Amino acid sequence: MFNRRNLLHGIATGAGAALGLTLFPKQMLASPIPGASSSRTGSSSPKRIIFFLQNQGFDPATCIPEGMKRSGSLAGMKLPEPIRPLEPFKDKMHIINGLHGLHTSPSHSAFFGALGGYRGSDGVPPSGPTIDYELSKVLPETLLPHLCIGMDSMENMTTKPTLATLSASGAGQPIFMHSNPNHLYQMLYGGISTGNIRRQHEAKSSLFNQIESMAAVGARSLPPQERQRYGQYVQGFQDINGLRGRLEKVSDHLRKFAPEVDSRYTKPDFETDWHDVLLDLGISSLTSGITNTLTIGSGRGEIFGSWKGLGIAEQGHNLGHMDQPGNPIWIKIRQYNSRMLVRIMEKLESIPEGSGTMMDNTLIVYTSNNADKQHTSGANWPVVLLGNIDGAFKTGCFTQLDGSRPINALYTALLNAAGAPCDRFNMNDQLAKKFDSGNGPLTEVLT
Amino acid sequence: MSRTVLSGTVAKNTVLNQAVVIRAFGYAICLIVLLLPTVAFSNGFTPGQSVEGNYENFARDFLQNRCLDCHGQKDPEGGLSLHDLGPVDEVNASTWRSIWAQVMLKEMPPRDAEQPEVIERLRFSEWIIGQLTQVMRDKGGFRDHLDPNKGNFVDHDLIFGAIPAGITLVPTSTPARIWRVTREEHITRLNELINSEPTFDPMNPGLRTHGDSVPTNHGGELKLYFGTDQIIQWQGGTVAYATAVKSLPAVLSTARDHGLENYPHFYSVNSAEATQIMEVADDIVKYMAYGPLSIAEPWQITDDPKSVADKMKGDIRGLPTSIVYSAKVVRPLTPVYDLMKEEGVSQDHLRAAIDDLFEALTFRPPSRNESDRYLAVVNESIEKLGKEDGVALGLSSIFLDRDALFRPELVEHGQPDQHGRVMLQDWELGLAVNHALRYIKPDEQLRSAIIDGRMRTREDVQREVERMLADDSIRKPRMLQFFRDYFDYDRGGYICKDAKSLADTGVSNRGTSHYNAMFDATASTDRLIELILQEDRDVLRQLLLTDKIVATTNDNVYFGKRNSPAETQKSIASAKPVSSEEAVTLETARQALTDIKKSISDNPEQSNSKRGELAEAKRAVAVAEKELEIKRQKRGGENHNVTEAKLTGPEIFARVSRRSFGNGSMKPERILATAPVGERLGILTHPSWLVSHSDAMDNHAIRRGRWIRERLLGGGIPDVPITVDAMLPDEPKSTLRDRMRVTRETYCWTCHKKMDPLGLPFEMFNHAGLFREQELEKPVDTSGEIIDSGDAALDGKVSDAIELIERIAQSERAEQVFVRHAFRFWMGRNETLNDAPVLKAAHRAYQENGGSMRSLLASLLTSDAFLYRNRGESEVAAQN
Repeated sequence: MFNRRNLLHGIATGAGAALGLTLFPKQMLASPIPGASSSRTGSSSPKRIIFFLQNQGFDPATCIPEGMKRSGSLAGMKLPEPIRPLEPFKDKMHIINGLHGLHTSPSHSAFFGALGGYRGSDGVPPSGPTIDYELSKVLPETLLPHLCIGMDSMENMTTKPTLATLSASGAGQPIFMHSNPNHLYQMLYGGISTGNIRRQHEAKSSLFNQIESMAAVGARSLPPQERQRYGQYVQGFQDINGLRGRLEKVSDHLRKFAPEVDSRYTKPDFETDWHDVLLDLGISSLTSGITNTLTIGSGRGEIFGSWKGLGIAEQGHNLGHMDQPGNPIWIKIRQYNSRMLVRIMEKLESIPEGSGTMMDNTLIVYTSNNADKQHTSGANWPVVLLGNIDGAFKTGCFTQLDGSRPINALYTALLNAAGAPCDRFNMNDQLAKKFDSGNGPLTEVLT
Repeated sequence: MSRTVLSGTVAKNTVLNQAVVIRAFGYAICLIVLLLPTVAFSNGFTPGQSVEGNYENFARDFLQNRCLDCHGQKDPEGGLSLHDLGPVDEVNASTWRSIWAQVMLKEMPPRDAEQPEVIERLRFSEWIIGQLTQVMRDKGGFRDHLDPNKGNFVDHDLIFGAIPAGITLVPTSTPARIWRVTREEHITRLNELINSEPTFDPMNPGLRTHGDSVPTNHGGELKLYFGTDQIIQWQGGTVAYATAVKSLPAVLSTARDHGLENYPHFYSVNSAEATQIMEVADDIVKYMAYGPLSIAEPWQITDDPKSVADKMKGDIRGLPTSIVYSAKVVRPLTPVYDLMKEEGVSQDHLRAAIDDLFEALTFRPPSRNESDRYLAVVNESIEKLGKEDGVALGLSSIFLDRDALFRPELVEHGQPDQHGRVMLQDWELGLAVNHALRYIKPDEQLRSAIIDGRMRTREDVQREVERMLADDSIRKPRMLQFFRDYFDYDRGGYICKDAKSLADTGVSNRGTSHYNAMFDATASTDRLIELILQEDRDVLRQLLLTDKIVATTNDNVYFGKRNSPAETQKSIASAKPVSSEEAVTLETARQALTDIKKSISDNPEQSNSKRGELAEAKRAVAVAEKELEIKRQKRGGENHNVTEAKLTGPEIFARVSRRSFGNGSMKPERILATAPVGERLGILTHPSWLVSHSDAMDNHAIRRGRWIRERLLGGGIPDVPITVDAMLPDEPKSTLRDRMRVTRETYCWTCHKKMDPLGLPFEMFNHAGLFREQELEKPVDTSGEIIDSGDAALDGKVSDAIELIERIAQSERAEQVFVRHAFRFWMGRNETLNDAPVLKAAHRAYQENGGSMRSLLASLLTSDAFLYRNRGESEVAAQN
């Protein structure tokens, strides 16, 4: 999951490999460190991106201001009730309607196809890397290149604390979401302790290194067809060891950002308690600079989910069968999402970065892994962007597209804004003939 | 299917070929030219051997000859044009995938068109598999032909009929592999370390015993419980208990929940799981060493709870300290215990602990090299952390050993035969045989056989398999797991029900009552299957036709009949009046209303002034009636919506989880009853199966029909096309059958005719599994039809599910399909044509021994497919 990338990838232009180890680990953090200079322009500028995918579809009527039929400014418009909490952030917002995902088979869920821009389905392995992973490679190097969080019913989060349905580092290489905040806390902040706990942490580190060596030996006798699957197992130890080592080096810095563990971690009343603390951990991983790419799957990319903590008795698949506009249940869920987005933005706005705040260098992509509704062809895939990554994206507006450009075009725009110019993402020319009326990034969203 | 029939098909095709050629000659010479290359297809065929040729010189001709008439450029059937499809590539892979499915399933070319010869069809299908595998290799891969849900795509008649001339089979084998342990195996393996399970009691054979799988708990979770066999007291009720006890959920993930869930290639272990396994391991090692002391205060361990009453004051419900553990040691005492109870660290004892734990987790003793390596690891941990924490941490590493999480079948030693196959032997063979039946490590006899070099031949396997199958005290949870995977009757508790719809079925929708009933139903069906396996006669037929049910008291409702509205009213009317406060209140309110009415009648001039009083009196009556009804229901009084089944029979037991929910935990007590006559027949009519094949608000006739089609008739269903929005209209006042009219549109019906008419006969039950005669106040339509089953004797209309089941249960084809599924489960892969001899032999063994599951299993486990592995050196072997 946490593949070690080229050490200097994304660090100061021209710095070159010679600077690599001396820069580590300070420049591996995506957050401001006192005394460190930071430019708001150029490829060394910290940037971060957050994907927030609510399952069961994102009905456009729940995000487009009433009466707004054409592209235009959101100023003076009132956001619909489901996303009303975002009203104070309208100037940072870009509502996009009319992208499509026809080629992703999103009915029920496009699974990996939602962020991959390719066909996905239940039980179908990813056929390529997803946009969040690709961006994590392009954005400035961080300790943890990419963090995925999944929010689900309590039962699912406890019995299946890890699940891979949305993100992938390549074909057949899923990235797992974390759903148990206790495990995630240990992973992120286990190394900032001292004394006996510190010794245990070190002993554990040594042990995992030895396990990794022994696991690698076990691969030698495998026939070719089994090596990839076993490789995931060995890779798991490499991930664990690599991350622990990197986190250890910046423990003083992390201590300032680690959330306080309270009873919601260990004795949650509802699943939403875990959703909330998972979000806290996600935000802290951004503010502490551990990562700059965060993927949040509310409903974990599947067709279930539960929000009893919001007073919603219904759960699971039935939620997807309901029409969303005007539905009190969906208003609650969407408002809960919106409040989470507000929490992210307020926190990032509170932390100075360069001449502005962290939010100035951040983009949030809010959408669904099911396009516009649960049973859908994917002809319309509404998206809301929040933030602008240092002015790269238009904000404060609504854009109505004609349904002829795929979500891949938006992802291409993200890659371009992140400093990786390209014409297409996960779509070759043959596919594009059928599914894309244009070429290059979605210009309607870029400044 | 016999040779005669196959020959008939060939003859028919020949006639068709001639007819087409003659017709074509009349229209255009060029078409004859296009038909000529079909001769090339009649070359021989070896299953699994790649078919040479590229698109231009191989596949294009097939498409042109067989497909383009309908799927040409202009106005193509189904909107699918193949005229410019071209070679297999990433873009058109999904189209080629569909073509593969259609050709394999003989859906295309359509029935009324000229059919390709068997070999032509097989070669074309094999060519597509080869091309898709190659093209998609670095794009997620192509695995459709390896998916158990597509196992039936291999023609049933070819497997069980005579192999047509020109097809050359090669001796079968299975790829060398590692097989990740399942969640159930893993939890059971860990459970062995900390809990002692009761030994087998022949007088009460249904009670959970050593060697059984750790079952899911009251809520359907698979968990490892610590110390529950020593808990003698706790504070609070069910939830308090569940909160206070220590339990750990299964760590390893499973993505599938229907059908065969565990092929070796499905799963690996990821970093997050590895991290969790380490954490679980630490807890387990400490419990092995210290027992409840590792999870409780010393004063909590006493046989005299009163003596610690002063320490348990106040409301401590739900806290771990609210529990009192017996002082009696019941956990297994292992070398880990010996090591930790002594002062210091003896290297001999440390090695003994390592070796013992290694074998407990991998099921084989470590080599000296492995033992040395772990000794060094644990010593280093001890050096860093001291004995207590160091031993726990160091030993935890063994839980992550490759062979603790994957079972290897690698045949590293041994010479390949002329077909590139190597026979499993020693530990790999012994553990393969063990794994075929058990979740715990080999018993002493099998272990000795392995160590003594008596697990190297087919006869060795026969000996051990027969020994284990004959001994009921040797528990065989893998057999039960097969039936769970095959029947899919264990999902009922996980189907989330809409509360109102559930109430409409007649069962209680209060709290988790329905879900608890479903987890109980799963355990009951488990036990019924065990009883049928014990007799081992006509096993499949018994499962389909038995009138026996294993029941709890709840099942009087679930096996009951949902009353019609008129019957419900009649039941209410005939019910004894409830003598209660609410009844008195109602009577008083009614009397008051009568008085007012009389007063108005006597004094019409007061009718206006008393209008408010009259309305209030009416309202009071309505409220009193409602409260009385609530009272009746809350008191668990008569359920007027259901005519209960009144089940009786001898007392037996079902295997249930350890106490997980205080006194609300699952109970093993059951009765062996007889199902209501004319309403039920076999497992497919039991609520456990019916609810497992339902959804939140209704029956799932499509899923039920699909089950019949795939698991009994051996048919295949292609994937839903990506353009299909598979949704029934939301019409609460229409029956499911009415709402399913959308699937009868031509485009959908091609596939749905294989499922819907097989599922709709089960409309005689509602979605909680209750029998019913009416639906939406009209007689329920339970008619259905078997269409194109592959056995003409089966085809035709049926009046209800019972007739459907009775007809299919007599079919030899259903038996053969059952054998195919057993093959997949125990081999961990789909069958190929090369496995035909194995499948025929297994079916023969089953049939000739009176429908014996043991004979079927013994045949499969001594087959080449089970015994031989190949490491990919031989292409044919690798494809198997």
